[in-house]
Amino acid sequence: MNEWLETLKSSSFLIPTIGAVKAVAICMFALNVGVILTWVERRLRGMIQDCIGPNRAAIPIPGKVAAVVLALGPGVTVAAAILGAAIYLDSESTSNPGWGMLFFQGGVFVTWLTFAAIARGARKTGATNAIEKEIAALGSPRSIALVGVCVQVVLFLFGLSPAYTGKTVDFIFAGGAALFAGMLFAAAAHVAYRYSQEKTVRLTLLGLLHPAADGLKTAFKADFIPPKGDRLLYNLAPWITLLPALVLLAVVPFGPTMCFETDALGNPDFFAFQGLEMAGQRCSSASYSMMVADLDVGILYFFAMAGTGIVGAALAGWASDNKFSLLGGMRAASQMVSYEVTLGLTVVGALMIYGTVRIDEMILWQSENAWGIFVQPLAFFLFFAAAIAETKRIPFDLPEGESEIVAGYFTEYSGMKFAMFFFSEFIAVVCSSTLLVALFLGGWHLPFITGNGIEVALGETVYYSSSFEPRLIAALGVLAFVGKVLGVCVLQVFIRWTLPRFRYDQLMRLGWRKLLPASLVNVMATATIWLAIDSASEAVAAKMAWLGQLSMVFLAALGLAAFVGLVIYLFIPSDKRRLVVNSSARFAELMGGTQEAKLEA
Amino acid sequence: MSAETTTRERFQTEALGPQQVKGIYIERPTRNAAVQGYVPDIIKGLGKTIGHALRNTKDMALGTRNDPVLESISDGINTLSYPEQKRPYPERFRGVHRLTQRDDGSPRCVACLCCSTACPAQCIHIEAGDYEGDQKREGYERYPKRFVIDEIRCIFCGYCVEACPCDAIRMDTGIHPAPYDSRDQFLYEKDLLLAIPGRAGDHASENPRVERGDPEYPGIDRDHGH
Repeated sequence: MNEWLETLKSSSFLIPTIGAVKAVAICMFALNVGVILTWVERRLRGMIQDCIGPNRAAIPIPGKVAAVVLALGPGVTVAAAILGAAIYLDSESTSNPGWGMLFFQGGVFVTWLTFAAIARGARKTGATNAIEKEIAALGSPRSIALVGVCVQVVLFLFGLSPAYTGKTVDFIFAGGAALFAGMLFAAAAHVAYRYSQEKTVRLTLLGLLHPAADGLKTAFKADFIPPKGDRLLYNLAPWITLLPALVLLAVVPFGPTMCFETDALGNPDFFAFQGLEMAGQRCSSASYSMMVADLDVGILYFFAMAGTGIVGAALAGWASDNKFSLLGGMRAASQMVSYEVTLGLTVVGALMIYGTVRIDEMILWQSENAWGIFVQPLAFFLFFAAAIAETKRIPFDLPEGESEIVAGYFTEYSGMKFAMFFFSEFIAVVCSSTLLVALFLGGWHLPFITGNGIEVALGETVYYSSSFEPRLIAALGVLAFVGKVLGVCVLQVFIRWTLPRFRYDQLMRLGWRKLLPASLVNVMATATIWLAIDSASEAVAAKMAWLGQLSMVFLAALGLAAFVGLVIYLFIPSDKRRLVVNSSARFAELMGGTQEAKLEA
Repeated sequence: MSAETTTRERFQTEALGPQQVKGIYIERPTRNAAVQGYVPDIIKGLGKTIGHALRNTKDMALGTRNDPVLESISDGINTLSYPEQKRPYPERFRGVHRLTQRDDGSPRCVACLCCSTACPAQCIHIEAGDYEGDQKREGYERYPKRFVIDEIRCIFCGYCVEACPCDAIRMDTGIHPAPYDSRDQFLYEKDLLLAIPGRAGDHASENPRVERGDPEYPGIDRDHGH
């Protein structure tokens, strides 16, 4: 075993292989988020406009098979994984208070969630066995959930209190792991029982299969090529649009840089983890960053690649031999050129402050001082507007304005080639959101999370601190980054369903006469203020550091408030009024509602 | 000025229509700094859309969405997933025809041809026949040997039901005609029409039929002639 490891370590293929894996992973990230985004866009459209949205694609699975594959299998696996982790942590004697509390909270959460779900099912379609009847008799789903959340809050406060030490930790650790695994298994068993009662289970994945089915459909659609068009350019254009969008993410770090010991070849030794590059800590030995290409040009590469996206749209418009396509291509080219200027200039202010063009170092600066949105608030809004215009999406989707030029530059495209244009637009959204998060929203950084754990500190006073495994913090960083990117993507989708399209002259006026001067003013103001602060006394620097910490407190409070607000919002009962005046409604009432099929969608 | 005030006051105080709905007077938008600045109104609009999405997503996740028929006036998703979910047709909905039956299962129809005469689409075809060997009915009543309705030609006007003196044909099945592959399948024969139940699930009609020989039989019969 050790020998094999040694050969692997000394192999010259290891680093390139991991690089390739990273590249594939990041491409898959862009593609998958693109797919999810198409779904989110359609589904959110439904939710905004008070209808269901596409969710009809389903894979029918026989009930007995579904019970094993969809319920029992995953349930047993996860439960076993939790028990295994608990036993491993115990044997390593790292059964620290944090892990115990995490297990226990998870157990309580799964318990109340299962009970509430069973109670709801029993209320809706009647209890099918004695256990369900007992659970339904406990109370309404709402009250069960309320009790569960209260227990969780009490547990959370208990975990923070000094009483949580010694024997209690051991009890909470063992009990929590057992409860978590046991309840997961019980919930899975219950779902399996319900599935096995049914003849077929329709697997819809919340409607996620719908874009998959649509994508599959485009692959089989007729591929029309205009007879008098330029065949070569026509076929090339979708690729020229899609590929730059895919390589954009190469310079974006998805998590904190990891430090390893240097091995004999000068490469990082992946089996000797040392820590993370975070908040004041720098790697003393070999480092490995979570980006595909460790380029010193950083963000310049991003802009260079994003710029080539114009070529695809313009070529598609030209090669289609269609006046509408040509108009669309012209519009796309002029719009993207116009807004690229603003996009580049808004970043200049940020570059001055961060003092680097490398995105990983920008995120490090933000984690040590304050998020970019606080130091460059105007640039954030300008960048956001310009980024939406760059991705040619509503309200800036003039290049494909249906009401004027059919579908713009992809009027003549069909089948998979159309899908590639469609898809590269969504990938461009993912990329611009990624850059926005990296530049202005702290990237993978979360307030008060340091390289060694959680530390809530203001100035010199430390209010709370607990240590965590650095590798888990790296994973948390990746999750935070992906979460932020998804959040910004969803915000863009909301903007898409909120705003109407601009007129073309309005678009140009906004770009050249409003956003561009504003970004120039931003550069000037940033330079002046930055110079003033840089040459000011120590006291001013201390004041700025204090303001930076205040911004972190604000962010943490905002996050907490949003979470608590969401939980409270979920408990507010929805106001439903019955109106039974006509015979149609009377018939429905007699049937117990329009329940020929369950009203879930 | 006064006209505008009165309209506004009327909207805010009066409750209009049978549902007694009170109106909301919406101010005409003015070109102030907030509107011209674009950003505040974008945020307001975003708040509206996000509010809708949150409310509906919560309803879907917690399974508390509206019943699309019973709670159709509540805010939220009122979509019916047809054909898995169906809105029940109203009581007087004219659906596919049925022939009502007597207690012994024979058709109430006496083949008088009133319905086929009244039919503007001429989609009813009846061949009349005599009851043979039926002591009670022979020589008095006829019955339809064939009774065919072409449901694709039918315009569902309900004149046949109005015309029928015996309450033998009804359209109270609550079924809409299904689409078929060929025209032949739209020809509903007597057996099929007799087999379709009414909304209540039986084959009788709401008007009781008093048969010949019953004590309360009002008309003439074999024993009590003119």
